[in-house]
Amino acid sequence: MDEGGRFRPPEREEQERWMERALGTAKEALENGEVPVGCLMVYHNEILGLGRNEVNETKNATRHAEMVAIDQVLEWCRQKDKDREEVFEHTVLYVTVEPCIMCAAALRLLNIPLVVYGCQNERFGGCGSVLNIPADDLKHSGAPFQSIGGYRAEEAVELLKTFYKAENPNAPKSKVRKKQ
Amino acid sequence: MAGVGDAGGLRRQRLLTHYDKSRNSYVEGIMEPQCKKRKTKAISTFTWELMPVLSDEELCEVELLEAYAAPIINKRQTSCLIKQLACIYPLNSLPHIKRVRTCRDKNTNHSLEIIICLLRDLNCTDVPNGEISLSDLFPDGKDIGIGLGEPFQVMIPACQPLTRPQFEAASQHWPTTFHENKQVTNALRGHLFNTEERAKVQTFMEKAIKAAKLGKEIGMEPVGAVVVNPATDEVIAVGHDCRNGPNPLLHAVMVCIDLVAYGQGGGAFNHDRYPNCHFKSEASFSGDHAFNTGKPLHPSEDHSPTGVPVNGLPYICTGYDLYVSREPCVMCAMALVHSRIRTVFYATSSPDGALGTKYKIHTKKDLNHHYDVFKGLLEGECQFFS
Ligand SMILES: [Zn+2]
Ligand SMILES: [Zn+2]
Repeated sequence: MDEGGRFRPPEREEQERWMERALGTAKEALENGEVPVGCLMVYHNEILGLGRNEVNETKNATRHAEMVAIDQVLEWCRQKDKDREEVFEHTVLYVTVEPCIMCAAALRLLNIPLVVYGCQNERFGGCGSVLNIPADDLKHSGAPFQSIGGYRAEEAVELLKTFYKAENPNAPKSKVRKKQ
Repeated sequence: MAGVGDAGGLRRQRLLTHYDKSRNSYVEGIMEPQCKKRKTKAISTFTWELMPVLSDEELCEVELLEAYAAPIINKRQTSCLIKQLACIYPLNSLPHIKRVRTCRDKNTNHSLEIIICLLRDLNCTDVPNGEISLSDLFPDGKDIGIGLGEPFQVMIPACQPLTRPQFEAASQHWPTTFHENKQVTNALRGHLFNTEERAKVQTFMEKAIKAAKLGKEIGMEPVGAVVVNPATDEVIAVGHDCRNGPNPLLHAVMVCIDLVAYGQGGGAFNHDRYPNCHFKSEASFSGDHAFNTGKPLHPSEDHSPTGVPVNGLPYICTGYDLYVSREPCVMCAMALVHSRIRTVFYATSSPDGALGTKYKIHTKKDLNHHYDVFKGLLEGECQFFS
């Protein structure tokens, strides 16, 4: 890849490989009793951030997997003395569930060029389900980004269903929820 | 409340010092000169207007539908006509419409008029340019038409009005039911907050402005925010924007949300390098958990003012109010949904703002939490920031 040049989206095959990893992370989270949402931030074939929800331990309802992964990328930039703007402009987010409105706005503020996700987030989704933050006309909120949804969505939904069934046996089974 | 009168550049003399709950009133500060005489004058002159940021549904013009009505010739037949019409034209989608109204034209010999049907209920090809007769309206049972006069076209409100201005506009056309939300009516008239409450919210915004100025001094975007527990009037967190530091997502609102989490034993960021961003720890809260008297505009179960997490989940801002010097962006507005804030007050609008300018995240139907938003608080003082 051309260092510092324009962002070129990875091939479909590569996207699928990273989504496989994101799903694996979500499964690990489920095994450890966490909300099964997995996300990776990939920069030039390297995973800079690997996020899972930290809402409960931080008591901060904004600590979604994506926000946690973003902070890891920032830390990586600090340690490697890299220009964070350049890094984010070439970083792809792979996440098993469509980012919520808050996370979509954060990704946009950082000029992330591409988000690949699994299932939709009917309750909070910011990439088309409730609002479409990456595509909207927001001149002061970073650049629009591309989002590709639907990759192995059934598996991502299944993981969430399993989690919520275990957490609350009386919960309605209908909607796919992403409690973050 | 030290620091109440310290807003630099403000000409108004602040005379209120603290809110005495037992007396349900403000107690004048001993430092303030000539309290009695200047008090009313000083606190009744506010330079700002507090406007509610209502949903589009609450602010839009009332949509109208074309309908047919007819005079009721014999008043005593009214209830019978209502029953018959309910069978033929039930108007199921218009439960807010009052079927009968008193005639507005006093020169006629009938006193009541009744809605027969909507234009769209008719097979449109049968209706020649608005000219319609009773036999067109009742093709199968002409006998009902006996009690009715010549039909005429009216416009009727398509849905129930949500606000008093909408109700007044709708009633110009046809009577409709209306469940008035007095809080919203008062808010729209600028009567929601009395002088004492206005003085109080002003002091909190002054703190947010002060934080913004301190942030600006160290090279940050000049945005400040304050989280208040309205049940006790305690300031829970004060923060300024930190986006020009190591983390570009640390907008003032995100900083404050994390500071509240710190106060509750959590937190995700290290705020040590920003001494002007601080929180009050839960242990130091006053024992007073009296429910606050301010009623929300749009009550919901999420407005519990106790701050107690629901289901043990970290909904850290439940029942709290946020004061922020400028309108939050999408990320921050949604972060406030996730954190279950009760009310947001902001001073100035921002170009991509998500609480009134580009979006109204706080009123979005699909989302699971809604909050009230007021704008314009100390707008003039904040203008030079933007
Ligand atoms: Zn999110
Ligand atoms: Zn923001």
